[in-house]
Amino acid sequence: MALTDKKYWKNLRQHAVKTGNFHLSDLFDDEAKRFNDFSLRHGNLLLDYSKQRVTHKTTELLCGLARECDLSAWIEKLYSGDAINNSENRAALHTALRLPEGSELTLDGTNIVDGIHDTLLRVQHIVERVHAGQWRGYSGMPVNTIVNIGVGGSDLGPFMASKALADMRRPEARGLKIFFVSSMDGSQIADRLETFNPATTLFIISSKSFTTIDTLSNANTALQWLRQASGASDEVLYRRHFIGISADSQRMGEWGIPSNSRLELWDWIGGRYSMWSAIGLPIALEIGMDGFRAMLEGAHSMDLHFRETPFEKNLPVMLALVSIWNVNFLNIRAHAILPYDGRLSHLPAYLEQLEMESNGKSVSRNGDEIDYNTCPILWGEIGPNAQHAFYQLLHQGTESVMCDFVVTARRYHDSGNPELQQQHTLTLANCLAQSRILALGDRAIDDDVTAPFFKHYRGNQPSTTILLDELTPYSFGQLIALYEHKVFVQSVIWNINPFDQWGVELGKQMATMLIDPLSGENSQSEFDSSTQGLLQHILKQQRTRS
Amino acid sequence: MKIAVWGEELTAWVTAGALAATGNDVNFVSHSQIKDPITLMGSSIRNEPGLRDLVVNEFEHKRMRFVQDRTALGIQTHILSMNPSQFDDAHDIVSNIASKHDGPLLVINQSHFGVGATDKLQSLLNKRNKQVVAYFAENISEGEALDRFRNPKSLILGCDVPEATLTIESLFRPFSRRVENRFVMSPKEAEFTKLSIIGMLALRIGYINELANLGELLGVDIDVIRQGMGADPRIGRHHLAPGCGFGGNTFPQTLSSLAQLLSQTTESTLMQTVLLENEKQKELPFRKLWQHYACDLHDRKIAIWGASFKPGSASLDAAPSLKVIDAIVAQQAEVRVHDPEANENVQHLYHNSPYVKTITGKYDALKNVDALLVLTEWPEYWSPDFEIMLKQMKTPLIIDGRNIFNRKQIESLGFTYYSIGR
Repeated sequence: MALTDKKYWKNLRQHAVKTGNFHLSDLFDDEAKRFNDFSLRHGNLLLDYSKQRVTHKTTELLCGLARECDLSAWIEKLYSGDAINNSENRAALHTALRLPEGSELTLDGTNIVDGIHDTLLRVQHIVERVHAGQWRGYSGMPVNTIVNIGVGGSDLGPFMASKALADMRRPEARGLKIFFVSSMDGSQIADRLETFNPATTLFIISSKSFTTIDTLSNANTALQWLRQASGASDEVLYRRHFIGISADSQRMGEWGIPSNSRLELWDWIGGRYSMWSAIGLPIALEIGMDGFRAMLEGAHSMDLHFRETPFEKNLPVMLALVSIWNVNFLNIRAHAILPYDGRLSHLPAYLEQLEMESNGKSVSRNGDEIDYNTCPILWGEIGPNAQHAFYQLLHQGTESVMCDFVVTARRYHDSGNPELQQQHTLTLANCLAQSRILALGDRAIDDDVTAPFFKHYRGNQPSTTILLDELTPYSFGQLIALYEHKVFVQSVIWNINPFDQWGVELGKQMATMLIDPLSGENSQSEFDSSTQGLLQHILKQQRTRS
Repeated sequence: MKIAVWGEELTAWVTAGALAATGNDVNFVSHSQIKDPITLMGSSIRNEPGLRDLVVNEFEHKRMRFVQDRTALGIQTHILSMNPSQFDDAHDIVSNIASKHDGPLLVINQSHFGVGATDKLQSLLNKRNKQVVAYFAENISEGEALDRFRNPKSLILGCDVPEATLTIESLFRPFSRRVENRFVMSPKEAEFTKLSIIGMLALRIGYINELANLGELLGVDIDVIRQGMGADPRIGRHHLAPGCGFGGNTFPQTLSSLAQLLSQTTESTLMQTVLLENEKQKELPFRKLWQHYACDLHDRKIAIWGASFKPGSASLDAAPSLKVIDAIVAQQAEVRVHDPEANENVQHLYHNSPYVKTITGKYDALKNVDALLVLTEWPEYWSPDFEIMLKQMKTPLIIDGRNIFNRKQIESLGFTYYSIGR
């Protein structure tokens, strides 16, 4: 049955007609205990969705829809390794990466948990060796600069996590500099290489397929730089200055990485769900293996919660359902991610990929064109900075936008620095102030003086606040797993496959076809007049320069 | 004179022994259950030339004895020979001494607590009642500690109370009669002088090492260079031997306190750089080995001659050998260590590592090895039987971290030879 024909979908439509225009300030006036009724807690996270435009009836119907869509059965399929990535006939087992050692999960007759922990142990050995100053480069000096070369899931997750957890840097990692290079055009790597010492630089080449052209171009630039600087043999350079992380060991070998510098990935891990695997090596180098394992434990605790908790009390389920309500019944098509914590500065970029690459689909699992909206447009920025940028639109623009405020209750409490503590208080005050004004508008402040029209705040912009007790590797693991599962729940309701990304393939193919004409060589391909015009202009400009 | 000596450092034992031998009544403060001075000293101090016999003799003649705090606090003259890290303990001791005395007191501080520390201790006492803390700049060094104490080249005393200066000078007269350079200054100036001397020595060593490394790249022999340099009277020949870095206990500690003082007060990184470069220099023999074997030492066997931080000492404090052993072991290669004095300490430190073996005979250590690294210039290594060495070693490769061998001779015998800056 099509989603729009489902009973609860129809009920929600009718319900939206009745309640869709309710203003949040009325909802708060009507229900004194709204926070109690519409907030959930798990572990170190508090999810407050009381500023969403929902009533008890709304959540009841949404949970009904989830049941009607067989969410529980889908969750079981996710955890047990069914090939729910149907277009690629693969499982999506990022939850397995978080299983404690000694657990069992059989896929094609093997207990994959053993392999996962073997790889973790190999990651640990590398981390310990680097931290001990015993990963030696060609000159015998210990490496002190790590460059992660990867793009997409091999970049955004580790980059975001390393920034988020940099406070918890291990003392052994002091003096270690970790950089991320992703851009295809070489501008990041070229700038950086000038400042690095080749004798003490170690490159991590992360690519699930080990064919990603962006990554391999940067890797080749790095190799060439080492060759010129060192005079060492390629064999030595590959062995002492590169670690490969990929699901394709053979390709890593063909590129030159020797077997004991290769870390394994599996095809049942999606790139954007992979920071829990060896792809997370830069995170582990930052916070140590204890920190990395704590992050996995945090995510695992969210996995258990998601699998075992009734929908009404289930954080990822409610986060997803509320978003479904916004997108499909209140017609809100934009979603802002607003961390009130500078450490989470890269969370928006990470979630842009996680949500939009997963659920930016318009074909159902059965291949039918769908007639309802799926993933909204996500964007974001550190909240306090965004206040000086796009909050104007949130408060007084014409677009309805749902917002996620992500903030920590405790920070700097043991720093002994009252100025920083005060800055944290200021940040919290701004976070609470913004979500309150977005919800209530003018009515947030009792002011009987009639304001001029341009000072009017309409309010009624829904938001969710995710409050972490404190940002630790554990709570961070919970936070990211929360969003992963939220995305999954939405995909189940929308009946789409969140684990493929066919929409990014055609561009790669087309780019390949354009290489020849851009190199001035004859090409069989024909292009539209715009492309043709741009091509000609580029070639003309290049000829003039030379 | 009745004296209480506080501290467990080499300086404390040397001072106590030497002063007892010149007729003083020396009370060595110890809380330990161990009542045998030789056991209490520990191996690295015990092996200091001449010290063991001296101390045993002084204990036998009852000019030296162990006392508890309570007894020591009643004494009027005190010597503090403590580790640079023990300033808080020294503070407590001087406070306690103050509480027991109203009349004259003399505390001679010869610990490297940093510039101004003696004045801080003085502030705990009543100077008007002739309670004085002075600073005496000891200049002993491990391996020749007793000789340096008994035959100092100069004497630097930080004391601004004339009566106390007289007392201290008479206490040290048996050793200072032939001293030409005798300086009395304020305690702070004396502390600063001592710190400056140590810094200067480190700079010289650091500089010659830098030159050696550079010379190697440019293809010049550092021995030729340093002879030329040393002939200039403004420079002189001492402390110009390149090698694989310096170690020790108080020397690096004092240097790092100087480095810290400089960086905190004037943002100067000069001494920090010297220390940092010295740490790198310690691994130089490893790097030469690493490069020789194309960055792969897995399953190799490497012999090390000399583990103590300098000849004549069994101490491994900040010794280059530790960094080299750690680096080799991290590559899962076996290390066979020989040291005339420090084998026991090496064994103690690495008893958990299956890769580190200590060997009693220096030639036995070479059995079947892929290389020999010389890290401490013990006299017995200077002229070994090269024929035996060639027979024992699987690969005749020598990495000489102390430049004790003659390159031409050794290469003519068939060895592959690397040294520092030659």
